[in-house]
Amino acid sequence: MRYPVGAVASIGHRISGVLLVLMLPFAVLALDRSLRSDAAFFAISGWLRLPAALLAWACAHHLFAGIRHLLTDVGIGASLPAARASAYAALIAAAAVGLAFLAL
Amino acid sequence: MTLLSGQRAFVFQRLSALVLLAYIAAAAVRLALGAPVTLAQWQAWAAQPLAAAALLVLALALVAHAWVGIRDVVLDYVRPFAVCVTVLGIAATGLALLAAWSALILVSHAL
Amino acid sequence: MRFRIYRFDPDKQAKPALQDYELQLGPSDHKVLDALERLRAQDDSIGYRRSCREGVCGSDAMNINGRNMLACITPLAGLREPVTLRPLPGFPVIRDLIVDMTQFFRHYHEIRPYLVNHEPPPERERLQSPEERDKLNGLYECILCACCSSFCPSQWWNPEKFLGPAALLQAERFIIDSRDRATPERLAFLDDVYKLYRCRTIMNCTEVCPKNLSPARAIEHIRIQQLRRSG
Repeated sequence: MRYPVGAVASIGHRISGVLLVLMLPFAVLALDRSLRSDAAFFAISGWLRLPAALLAWACAHHLFAGIRHLLTDVGIGASLPAARASAYAALIAAAAVGLAFLAL
Repeated sequence: MTLLSGQRAFVFQRLSALVLLAYIAAAAVRLALGAPVTLAQWQAWAAQPLAAAALLVLALALVAHAWVGIRDVVLDYVRPFAVCVTVLGIAATGLALLAAWSALILVSHAL
Repeated sequence: MRFRIYRFDPDKQAKPALQDYELQLGPSDHKVLDALERLRAQDDSIGYRRSCREGVCGSDAMNINGRNMLACITPLAGLREPVTLRPLPGFPVIRDLIVDMTQFFRHYHEIRPYLVNHEPPPERERLQSPEERDKLNGLYECILCACCSSFCPSQWWNPEKFLGPAALLQAERFIIDSRDRATPERLAFLDDVYKLYRCRTIMNCTEVCPKNLSPARAIEHIRIQQLRRSG
């Protein structure tokens, strides 16, 4: 099966979405800790670089692919060449964000 | 719209997405313009009633958006009807609990 | 040229298998269908559908090197070897490259692919302005080849309940036809959990349409019209 770039962006959108939902309890936990005290909030760093990069990628990809969908909804970038270009843009930008977090 | 309208879910997903986008844009602008926020500043800001309310709206929009998304995933991949409804029920309950928990955190901090 | 063809005969084998073929192409062999006809001369058990050989009947839609295309208008030049021919994905395979299109056509019939207008017919024809007629462009040209619907992941996950890009594009063709009077019913019919709203705008359909149509855009337009109607 030779999938078009739009399909790759789409499955990434779904995977990143599911990842983010699974992360929601931790996000609420982080909110709780951040509003309580300094110590508890920072006690979760260190080995978190890889998961943090993955989370960053998930946020970025879901955001960029989501914006791409919202624009297509109003007709911007709905043609095939434009849709392909925006799919590439979303994929590359999100990968860049993930890699940036990995390098931090 | 019918009771089990596909359109309603679609609109909720897009609307909640726009709300989330607004918050992300606002946060990006705030972080880009101002100096980095310290934990103390964040705690002080979140304690104000209006800010807490805004954060609550954010949490609800997030939960709504997550719900429509997970619902789509479950409807696509979970095929036996009874299992599908069960999984959706669990997901809905989980998300509702997260929303309630967030509300509890934000309200208790503001008070 | 080397070919790899999906072979499955339910009467003979339990499992499908890919079979390799080597073919000497003649000077007039330009398209995949030409090669298939030559291959059939070598091995007459290969099963596939074909008819018009010019890209208008939609019979020879198949998966060529991982993409759904019409064999008769797909050039052999430039295809990576071995050229792998598989039946349309997600559809039940009857034999080799022949798939069961029953469900595909059932979905087509569900959207009522005919004009619904109970007003007394005029003397000659139900008139339509050139602008109104232009709205059908990009919709009426569909040849129901199923390249789109069989490449749609949402169709793979929900083959019975999701109508698929082809049927939905045809639904739009009748929704925006100015001579049709059933628009509210058509839009209401499509507003449930599965029929249209499994579409995630993946746009695989638009990528593979051999007539360069965009079911994705048609579906988006149906959504907008539904939105307008519900105020």
